[in-house]
Amino acid sequence: MLATLISLLFVAPNWVRSITNEKQPNVFWSEYVVWPLIQIVVVLFIVLTLVAYLVYLERKVSAFMQARLGPMRVGPWGLLQPLADGLKLLLKEDIVPLKADRAVFIIAPIVSVVAALVVLAVIPWGATWATIANVNIGLLFILAVSSVGVLGLVLAGWGSNSKYSLLGALRSSAQMVSYEIGMGLSIIGALMFAKTLSMSGIIESQRISGVWYVFFQPLGFLIYAVSALGETNRAPFDLPEAESELVAGYHTEYSGFRWALFFMAEYSAMIVTSAVAVTVFLGGWMLPGLTGTSLFGIGPISDPTIHTFASIIVFGAKIMALIYAYMWFRWTWPRYRYDQLMELGWKWMIPAGLANIVLTGIWYVLALPKSQGGVFGFLRDEKGQLVPKGAGILYFIITAFIVTIPIVWGLLVTINRRSRDFNLTEQRQLQSQLRRERLEKMLQEQPKPAESVGQ
Amino acid sequence: MPAATTPAAKRTIGQLIKRLLLLDLFKGLMVTFKYNARALYEPRDGGNPNQAIYTEQYPLEPARVSERFRGAPRLNLDPENGNTLCIACDLCALACPVDCIEVGSIRREVREGEKVNKKKVLTTFIFDTSRCMFCNLCSEACPTDCLELTQSFELAVYHRAGFRWDREMLEKGINYVRYAK
Repeated sequence: MLATLISLLFVAPNWVRSITNEKQPNVFWSEYVVWPLIQIVVVLFIVLTLVAYLVYLERKVSAFMQARLGPMRVGPWGLLQPLADGLKLLLKEDIVPLKADRAVFIIAPIVSVVAALVVLAVIPWGATWATIANVNIGLLFILAVSSVGVLGLVLAGWGSNSKYSLLGALRSSAQMVSYEIGMGLSIIGALMFAKTLSMSGIIESQRISGVWYVFFQPLGFLIYAVSALGETNRAPFDLPEAESELVAGYHTEYSGFRWALFFMAEYSAMIVTSAVAVTVFLGGWMLPGLTGTSLFGIGPISDPTIHTFASIIVFGAKIMALIYAYMWFRWTWPRYRYDQLMELGWKWMIPAGLANIVLTGIWYVLALPKSQGGVFGFLRDEKGQLVPKGAGILYFIITAFIVTIPIVWGLLVTINRRSRDFNLTEQRQLQSQLRRERLEKMLQEQPKPAESVGQ
Repeated sequence: MPAATTPAAKRTIGQLIKRLLLLDLFKGLMVTFKYNARALYEPRDGGNPNQAIYTEQYPLEPARVSERFRGAPRLNLDPENGNTLCIACDLCALACPVDCIEVGSIRREVREGEKVNKKKVLTTFIFDTSRCMFCNLCSEACPTDCLELTQSFELAVYHRAGFRWDREMLEKGINYVRYAK
């Protein structure tokens, strides 16, 4: 226990320690300065390159789904397109509108992109040394900092001094604030099982129980996925910048590299929300039989270095799968109307999240060991942590899929049974009918003007 | 959730299940996914409207042009002796609604075997492609199938004089820009 804790605390590899010439107990420079800096540079480089290539991927995926080819001219299969785009954005004229609030206009994209990139520090990219900072409030930190991103949008909308930007910012911030609640609520069910907010800790508790939390929390995962789409302003919830119907939204007045910063923030937010989903629900960097746990006796890779690299690849693959799903949704489903968006957020996602928490809590308390007041005693104490084992796993999966989902669905239908009663077309027809009747009555009461002329 | 097309009371069990499981959404997802998957493995086959990728990379590969497309004009030659088929009858110039054809000819004695006939012989043929509207009336009027509108469409030139095609250009065709792949 103590040894694992120490190994978790000191993660810098030996070669870093040899650079700084430090001995085992005093490892301040290697542990807190040199190694994190190396990690930050590597992660930033990889993520920013990935962001550029996500744009390429998005264009290719959309093209393939629409029977087109996508970018083909820059490099083989257009692979150098992101480079050309980046170069173009760098060389563009830096325009600040004359009547814009200059300081706010310049700060806004920086706030946005910093909020999106800071979060990368606590994401567990892989086993052991592949996390920059294993903070014990990691998940809370991610949720808190990514909501600062809304500030960037509001500042951009305000600072541009343009009605389109302001309206776009209003819409995006309203949407992001609404969907943040559903996102936070959906995670809590999984946190009941993990009992920690540390990102690495959540993966570790999934490793101990041997089950990804998506099986315990299918509803939570669903709510998280929908809220993440809303949170990152992506289709089918991309109405702040609905390119087919609006001007660009909050970044209408931005061009050149400032606009690119907003774009970067958006795509980094995509990576971050997928990383959180992977960590909390999809077992992080674990793949049975390859990394983390064993499958049918085929153990995880024994060599620690290879194991860590494999874990990074697994984590990346899971993130990419989720991002592909994002793109898939975007190029398949039509956009929600604004009132439908708000209805989905407030009347479906938030009640569902609350109900999921209550029901999960009930199942959890029922499954506690009998010494702690439970009924079934499915949870067992393992290394100081309560872990579902054997029948317990089956119990939680069955309750989640067969009991929780129908109950929550019934609840939501009951809550929202009258939300579609107001029919605009019928209302209009009713109003015009009433008006016609009123007019006819008026005509009958008045003497006819034609007759008065004739007399 | 998606708006109901029918009031709740009239909904059948099938519709209810479809709505509960969001089947329509998944149906849509399958359509796009199939296109995406086919785009990755299916060989591209020009002109087939049912293929996964319909894009035609025009400068890299020859453009697909309809059979009945009317493009650059051409004066056909007799394939046996290489003489022009044009008999300078001027019917094409008469048929042309925009007067873009000018046929120049002289009357001359032509020896055909033993006889010597007095005949009209073509000297110049000027075709103004900037005024032509590719209506094909000239080609219809031609009694010897000499004048014809071909399928090539790259008619752009750098100055207006280039639009006046003379007899040589019409007989040999112009030098098109060919893009290497």
